[in-house]
Amino acid sequence: MMPADVSMPILVVDDYKTMIRIIRNLLKQLGFDHVDEAADGSEALSKMRQKKYGLVISDWNMEPMTGYELLKEVRNDTHLSKTPFIMVTAESKTENVVAAKKAGVDNYIVKPFNAQTLKSKIDAVFSVE
Amino acid sequence: MKSAASKKSKRVSRGGGRRSDEAVYSSVASLAEITAESLDAIVRKIDGEVFRELKAIAQHIQTLRQEIAVLKPGEIHRNSIPSAGHELDEVVHATESASNRILECAEEVMAANTSDVERYKEFVQERMLSVFEACSFQDLTGQRIAKVIDTLKQIETRVARFAIAARADEGAAAMPESEAKLIANSQSAVDKIFAAPRRR
Repeated sequence: MMPADVSMPILVVDDYKTMIRIIRNLLKQLGFDHVDEAADGSEALSKMRQKKYGLVISDWNMEPMTGYELLKEVRNDTHLSKTPFIMVTAESKTENVVAAKKAGVDNYIVKPFNAQTLKSKIDAVFSVE
Repeated sequence: MKSAASKKSKRVSRGGGRRSDEAVYSSVASLAEITAESLDAIVRKIDGEVFRELKAIAQHIQTLRQEIAVLKPGEIHRNSIPSAGHELDEVVHATESASNRILECAEEVMAANTSDVERYKEFVQERMLSVFEACSFQDLTGQRIAKVIDTLKQIETRVARFAIAARADEGAAAMPESEAKLIANSQSAVDKIFAAPRRR
């Protein structure tokens, strides 16, 4: 299994500052120090078009652009389509999980979660690559 | 039927006798009388059924009006729902504030200088006290959520009573089993979905 590069820039997308802060701290504990943040899908998309990210960790429920819409935009963009994408959300309905998988999400974390879950999902994404 | 009667009448005329004419008219009259009597019974029966149905509908409407009055939709719309919404807003605010305070403490502890163990210990204890204080939000949010639950229970009771009165719950299911199964609701359930072969 190839470990994830801890120096890669990561974009965390969530409309709750608290959640961004939690994920940022968990990532820091896992050794990832280069973390940027966005408050919704459109802001994330704009940042992704300006900077190349090694991983996107996004919430689902955001306004005006949801995490699911962001995922579809990313997968349809030839420059961004290969960016690893993890959905972190309370949306645990099977239909949503299946929809995200079909849209090309690399992994899916259900809130609430801990550092171990985050680590295992990041490892799983990069072990597939 | 009319032409058959007229043919019969012509045949009787051809026979020529007044007596036979009278017999025919008498038969027709008694036949008409019997028909009228039997139709009258049917019409009376239909009238009675329609009347009973209309009466039942009128009674049902009256019951519904009474139940709607008991439901107090105006009160739910004006007071209960806005009040519950306000309580939930406060819960969101309190939990967010507490989370931020706890995160602040944790971040400060993790970034603290550990070279002087005594000072570090004192600093950590001080921050831990702040964490305990921040956790007191649970008491307040618990009370607020209890109020919201109480409001929901009141609404549920009124709506259930109305549903019975309106016979609206007949044949209704709480949640289709197939829909209930759609909630994966745990990381392990989601992982199973992702364990299936990927196509990308």
